[in-house]
Amino acid sequence: MPTKILSIDDSRTIRLIVAKAFQPYDVTMYEGADGEKGLAVAAEEKPDLIILDVTMPVMDGVTMLGKLKEDPTLKEIPVIMLTAESGRENVLQIARMGVRDYLVKPFKENQLIEKVSRIVPLQKKPAAN
Amino acid sequence: MRAPVPTTEISEFINRHFVDICQTMLSITATSISPVVFPLHADRVSGSVGFEGENVVGSIYLHLSPHLAARAATAMLGLPPEESPSGEAEINDVVSELTNMAGGGFKSWLCDTGVSCAMSPPAIIRGGAFDIETTPGAERICLSFDCENEPVLFEVHIKFN
Repeated sequence: MPTKILSIDDSRTIRLIVAKAFQPYDVTMYEGADGEKGLAVAAEEKPDLIILDVTMPVMDGVTMLGKLKEDPTLKEIPVIMLTAESGRENVLQIARMGVRDYLVKPFKENQLIEKVSRIVPLQKKPAAN
Repeated sequence: MRAPVPTTEISEFINRHFVDICQTMLSITATSISPVVFPLHADRVSGSVGFEGENVVGSIYLHLSPHLAARAATAMLGLPPEESPSGEAEINDVVSELTNMAGGGFKSWLCDTGVSCAMSPPAIIRGGAFDIETTPGAERICLSFDCENEPVLFEVHIKFN
């Protein structure tokens, strides 16, 4: 069964980069452009992992993470936070929120794959004939 | 009043950070150019973010030629080199994200030097017939880069309170 990954970022560019990174793998991607949409998709699809941007309109990543942790049906879903801010305070704040890992932008595809593969299984798709 | 972070330190950080962004996200080699060279009255795609804290206020502007902005979008979206991004919205989103990374890194670095601040979401300005002026008391730091024969201007307007 494919691994289900939910990517939540207000930037379509970042959502495309994330989706492209997982193309070689047996992964079903879901997307949300803000925390509110992300929560709705998470509730419906119950992904195996969420990749969550911090700064977004409507509902930011921190607020969404709080709501996720309050929901008994969603709180166990592992979350990797994506952030453009690498400062000590920001990293400590992210660590305190109970995320499994974080990735600072700019990032390379292989860094994302490496972090995700430590949390959920990633199987390469069989080569096309 | 807080002692301002020296301009030389700000410039050195931006040099390192912008080169890293270009290499990591675009696979483009950016080289710092001095003195500053950028055709400010030519058409450009400019991303901006603001930052503000108790001891600091300012903005960051990243100016790209339309051609480099399209090239950056092609690289960042992983399109084949011969394929162009589908439109201005796609290019704007890429320049927004590059500006967000530039601003986010700068904001984090400022915070690590003891100057806490928050950052605004990015905005895009297109065109050539506009000037960006500093507010009273703000310092303007300009750095230009050559991104494989395409010019980029990185501006920081900063005022320490």
